Amino acid sequence: MKPAPFEYFRPSTLDEALATMAAHAGEAKALAGGQSLVPAMNFRIAQPSVLVDLNGIPGLDGIESATGGLRIGALTRHRTLERSAEVREAAPLVADTMPLVAHVPIRTRGTLGGSLAHADPAAELPAVMLALDADIEVCSQSGQRTIPAGEFFTGLYATALAPDELITAVTIPRRNSAAWAVDEVARRHGDFALAGVASVVRLEITGAVAGARIALFGVHERAVLADAAAKAIVGQVPTAEAIEAAADTAASQDADPASDVHASSAFRRHLTRVLVRRVLTRAVARARGAE
Amino acid sequence: MILSGTFTFRGPRALVWQLLQDPEVLVKVMPGAQRLSRIADGRYQGVMKVGLGPVTAAEFALDVTLGDLAPPERFTMVIDSKGTLGFARGTANVALDEEGPDRTAMHYTSELQIGGRIASVGQRVVESAAKAMTARGLQALQQAIDDRLAPSAGSTSS
Repeated sequence: MKPAPFEYFRPSTLDEALATMAAHAGEAKALAGGQSLVPAMNFRIAQPSVLVDLNGIPGLDGIESATGGLRIGALTRHRTLERSAEVREAAPLVADTMPLVAHVPIRTRGTLGGSLAHADPAAELPAVMLALDADIEVCSQSGQRTIPAGEFFTGLYATALAPDELITAVTIPRRNSAAWAVDEVARRHGDFALAGVASVVRLEITGAVAGARIALFGVHERAVLADAAAKAIVGQVPTAEAIEAAADTAASQDADPASDVHASSAFRRHLTRVLVRRVLTRAVARARGAE
Repeated sequence: MILSGTFTFRGPRALVWQLLQDPEVLVKVMPGAQRLSRIADGRYQGVMKVGLGPVTAAEFALDVTLGDLAPPERFTMVIDSKGTLGFARGTANVALDEEGPDRTAMHYTSELQIGGRIASVGQRVVESAAKAMTARGLQALQQAIDDRLAPSAGSTSS
């Protein structure tokens, strides 16, 4: 199928892109990697009248070390993140997640900013940004602001981005002493996950859990932090029983899955429990230095 | 797709019932409703414009027939809507329980058949979208109830 007619802009500076977005606010869609937008346009479920192609803007991609973490340009391709030694060292959760994101050809085009702006409820990266407590830098003609990942994802395909705003970069805190793990269940590798979990865990010197950020995807209308599960495990020594209790809590209280042709709501809850247990077990083992 | 749930309104049952039958109220609380009119007793027609994230808002023609009316306790709806993106049709049962003078629990179950492009392309998220729209509609109806109960206080917030 072919898309409905649209006007195409290819700005060569960020200012020009922001001006075009502002002039067509509500009508314009930003084109980054195009791995979700272009299929939606070809099916004609998305019919933006204006397309603003960001690929001609220099400096929107790239990974740099910043104070306390990594600053990743919005137009950085998934494949670049996957192969970056810097990401592997400073943000191993991101590195471990990349092979789960779709397939290599899609990762070669798809971008970090695009995935976050699209905010698919079953996508990995929004949840990973929640688990990492990343900051999302956005820009419009009226200026720049930084939105914590925890406030960015507001609903089903809905974000805190205004219609004339673009994501410019994401800042991920450096790993420090935290341990991490991620896992998902999909019907075929590379499909959208039926359920997935990404987590960052920190242990006290005593062995008790000092902090846990457990992000769920595919089991709610948006990527969501399992706050009840985190509360259940923080302060506890993460024994198998404590992890099991947190997993039960995540499945019964934090997840709110829908049914579709691929899986029932009940099955997604079951997967949430299993995946939270696996992910926490793995993260705790890493934190103890077993891996 | 089966959609069911309970929503507890702060307001008397007679008022909840009255607003649920009033197209002028419904057009304001239903997400995306453009117009809605009573074309016969218990029969409504209207237009909804529904969009979501990457899906460009598209119009759906809506035809709702009320049946089994037992005021102020329960009614059924036969829903038929279609647009360029697809169709949704089915039935819904609504029951209002008086939990107190100012508390009314609404129990709803609906069984909708979704078809067309929106079903094939959007199958993964149709139910989440329907849940989110229902929640938004019920909250808006609560707001309408609040406005009726305190018309002077409501004028500043609305």
